[in-house]
Amino acid sequence: MRKCATLWLLLLAVLTSGVLAQGIPPHPDQLTFKPLKYDPPKAKDFRHTLKNGAVVYIAEDRELPLINISIIIRTGSYLDPEGKEGLAAMVGSLLRDGGTQSLTPDSLDERLDFLAASVSTSIGGTQGSATLNVLTQNLDDGLALFVDILKHPRFDEERMRLYKERTLQRMKRRNDHTASIERREWNRLMYGEDFFINRLPTKKSIESITREDLIEFHRKYFYPANFIFAVSGDFKKKDMLKKLEKAFANWPNRGTKIPPVPRPKREPEPGIYMVHKDVNQGRISIGHWAIERGNPDEFALRVMNDILGGGGFTSRIMSRVRSDEGLAYSAGSRFGIGVYYPGVFRAYFQSKTPTCAYATSIVLEEINRIRTEKVSEEELQTSINSFIETFPQNFGTAARTVRTFAQDEYTGRDPDYWQNYRDNFRKVTADDVLRVAKKYLHPEKLVILGVGNVDDMLKGYDKHPVKFTDFGLGEVKRLPLRDPLTLEPIAEEK
Amino acid sequence: MYKGVLRFLVVWTALGAFSQAALAQNVKPRVHILKNGLRLIMLKRGDEPRIACGLAFRVGSVNERPGITGISHLFEHMMFKGTKTIGTKDYEADKRIIAQLDSVKALMRVEESKMRDMMRRGLIDDMRKRENWTERYKELEKVFDQLIQKQREIIIKDELDRIYTKHGATGLNAFTGEDMTVYIINVPSNKLELFMWLESDRLLNPVFREFYAERDVVYEERRLRIESTPTGRYDVQFETMFWQSSPYNWPVIGWPSDLIAITREQAHEYFNTYYAPNNCSVVLVGDLDYDETIRLAEKYFGRLPRGRKEPPEVITMEVPQLAEKRMAAEAETTPQVRIWYHGVAHDHVDQPALDILTSILSGKTGRLYKSLVLEKGIATNAYAGIDARKYEGVIQVVGIAKEGHSPLEVEQAIYEEIGKLKKEPVSDYELQKVKNQYAASNFRRLQSNFFLMIQLAIYDVMSDWSYINTYPPKVQAVTAEDVQRVAKKYLTRENRNVLIYTRKESAEPEDPAIAALPEQARQMVKMMIGRIQQVNDQNQLQMMISQMESRMGQVQNDDQRKAMEVVLQKARQRLQELQQKQ
Repeated sequence: MRKCATLWLLLLAVLTSGVLAQGIPPHPDQLTFKPLKYDPPKAKDFRHTLKNGAVVYIAEDRELPLINISIIIRTGSYLDPEGKEGLAAMVGSLLRDGGTQSLTPDSLDERLDFLAASVSTSIGGTQGSATLNVLTQNLDDGLALFVDILKHPRFDEERMRLYKERTLQRMKRRNDHTASIERREWNRLMYGEDFFINRLPTKKSIESITREDLIEFHRKYFYPANFIFAVSGDFKKKDMLKKLEKAFANWPNRGTKIPPVPRPKREPEPGIYMVHKDVNQGRISIGHWAIERGNPDEFALRVMNDILGGGGFTSRIMSRVRSDEGLAYSAGSRFGIGVYYPGVFRAYFQSKTPTCAYATSIVLEEINRIRTEKVSEEELQTSINSFIETFPQNFGTAARTVRTFAQDEYTGRDPDYWQNYRDNFRKVTADDVLRVAKKYLHPEKLVILGVGNVDDMLKGYDKHPVKFTDFGLGEVKRLPLRDPLTLEPIAEEK
Repeated sequence: MYKGVLRFLVVWTALGAFSQAALAQNVKPRVHILKNGLRLIMLKRGDEPRIACGLAFRVGSVNERPGITGISHLFEHMMFKGTKTIGTKDYEADKRIIAQLDSVKALMRVEESKMRDMMRRGLIDDMRKRENWTERYKELEKVFDQLIQKQREIIIKDELDRIYTKHGATGLNAFTGEDMTVYIINVPSNKLELFMWLESDRLLNPVFREFYAERDVVYEERRLRIESTPTGRYDVQFETMFWQSSPYNWPVIGWPSDLIAITREQAHEYFNTYYAPNNCSVVLVGDLDYDETIRLAEKYFGRLPRGRKEPPEVITMEVPQLAEKRMAAEAETTPQVRIWYHGVAHDHVDQPALDILTSILSGKTGRLYKSLVLEKGIATNAYAGIDARKYEGVIQVVGIAKEGHSPLEVEQAIYEEIGKLKKEPVSDYELQKVKNQYAASNFRRLQSNFFLMIQLAIYDVMSDWSYINTYPPKVQAVTAEDVQRVAKKYLTRENRNVLIYTRKESAEPEDPAIAALPEQARQMVKMMIGRIQQVNDQNQLQMMISQMESRMGQVQNDDQRKAMEVVLQKARQRLQELQQKQ
């Protein structure tokens, strides 16, 4: 019985396939599509200012019974006092975890958990963030707790001790994974050890931080005029603004003058650097400084990098290192557009140690090629189309729209940026790409960093006997591994 | 105190894709089943002019067998290599080269078989190393490489990705698990027909070109995820130890020996069995029109013939475990304990109660964190979770030891908490708290189209998409007695597997005072210090110090005295710490 049914379906499938296959073009290039009209939202339609000076970007989204209130706070770990590295991050974490003046940490945790409200706070390099996500029906309770956390933190001593213990435990793991060694050493090579992103916490700095340090840091930077809100979800705009106005009233602003984010002092020293750790896959980074925001070549550079290594499988580095040679699982490049200081151009891959030198030679070839030959019209159009067609994703949901605008306000981005975005990509030509590749990629200035079994990386392998010393960047300099707790160099194990 | 928030029974109005009544959401996709068995699940939603698309196949590592472990995942990679139309300038020439490559590979396999034998006899250490290859193998590899070079001239690299990218699609990717293989892409809403064209072509006319280079890529992925990470290799072996008879007992990425031996013919056989439309669900969430989508699906996916036979059923079940199994590993990681109990399959009647049970143990206000981290101060984190698979399940508990406390101590404290769960029912407050959180997280999980698509795809592969609506009410119905019952039933000694991680010596940053000591003394000193760190009683410590001080005079040897001094110094430090704590 069952057999018959299957047979019948099989016959039916064969019959119908002949009929239905009609009208299917032999190649997808022959398909035609309705044009998609899309106008990006404008920031001013979402922007409001509270009486206390805080800026609010707000959008309704009534589909699910959830409300999201995010705040960007002007602060950052770049403000960590010397010797207190790790302070900003500790404030960020203990705001949420350290209780409030009226609630012990335990009762705060219980109340939030029972409300199923999620509150998170953190402080990164150049900004702080606080977010409340709550069910519509619990908005009032959730918002009251959220304001209490931000305004009257307790910084409970016991929770502080716990935070320090966990931080030190994590710190000990700094050399366990080659990826974290690579990240740390790469940043040092790019910006120098005295630059703020490289002033990392040590056991000593963490232990020296006191509760008074936390209170002082919080007092300096947490007040409404220093907040930018991104609010979205299940509410009426008018009602929500009223609630925010009330919840954040009676919170005096302070006139703290917040120093600007510092700039790195010098460009990186070109050369080949290696850190030894006995694993069978090496991690390689290749690059130098890139550009800052506002550079008129930004769009041509984004297309250039997309073709070189930013565009995933469609890009040249991925195609050669992975698809052609099977030398890596992940390979590509980024061209960083810095907000406060120059970003970094970095090409990367991970490959078994003996093939690292050969794969590096392929990446260098591709960097040279894009500087000397025009990209094909097809590559150019694929890249430009991709930037243009994916544009609506920046405003995909109400939450994303207000977040994008709040972030733009924080970093002072040109208000017309999104309005001109697609036109700026349309203007890019193959000549532009060649010009910017020549102007902004510098093979003689490259820094190459390898982390893995150094002896195996240097040995190479017989099938493609390329050596790291063949790249004209001098001898290989071995960098010491650093003590995870002090970050002082430690002698290499033999 | 918490009465105010027990008011979950608000009725929301039905809006768009969902109607929300009381505690649970109701996701209402349109479902259309093609004649060839392909399940089309569509959900119209949102203003963004894009569609999140997924193709989910009911196949994963659980469907493999020894000798071809890792084939599901390798296969997932092969699905990006093109078709008769996509990925080549000249299919006929390409076909000829592929046939030649296969015949050279067949000769190479004869050599591989010899090398495997040599490896077993201990004559070579690793057949993947070039220096261990036979002369014949090296010659054949040269011929093989020449053919590859020839093929490269007519290949259009990653053309599938290029076409999608050119049309503004993003996130072309795939993932393979034990029970499923899912392909994903996000397309502009006016490009749905492109998706239909490319995906039906992938299933109708696949060509597994660059098969052997891709095997190397997968091997690099294995190095990246498992071999070069601090605990990857140990985690894989623990999981293998956990499963006894079940086909879950090899890793999704496959064993090294199998990965290098899988052939293109095996891949074809695999494709024919498992990539039939009757083994596939296509899930689309976003800005779409139901009727138009069905029309296009009929036109494109309707071309695919139903599989000649149904994929074989997974038969072998896990046998009940008779005795506790333990593994002790030294690795570059924080000392910790992982306890895995055999649980139940995704659709089992006890799953909701186990879900609640692990939630009660987890989170900032969960029992494990409160007891082990906040009260006892012996761990820095502790939590539990569930890995519910299609055919079996795992209940997982993790405790990260705090410095000066051993993972064994953490393990015992975990058993104490588990003991309480068995002894008395959980309180109404705790039960309501985790149910509230569960309900809220259900809504949060619906926020993104992409994530919603993935959930529908996963549920449809595991059982049925409607699980997204039917499971949450079951969780809300769990009682305190249910939790107690499943705790007694599953969290038993004979049902558990324990992995203890201690930190590998070389990974521990060396104290300079200890590093200065001679080799023989270091181990002893470390052991002594370890013991001192465990002492919590001031009087006891004071006595130990006095004893050491009095013996100091008897020590003649210089090295020994130095060692003793280091230990003494640590003991005094510890004493000071204890005094400060008071």
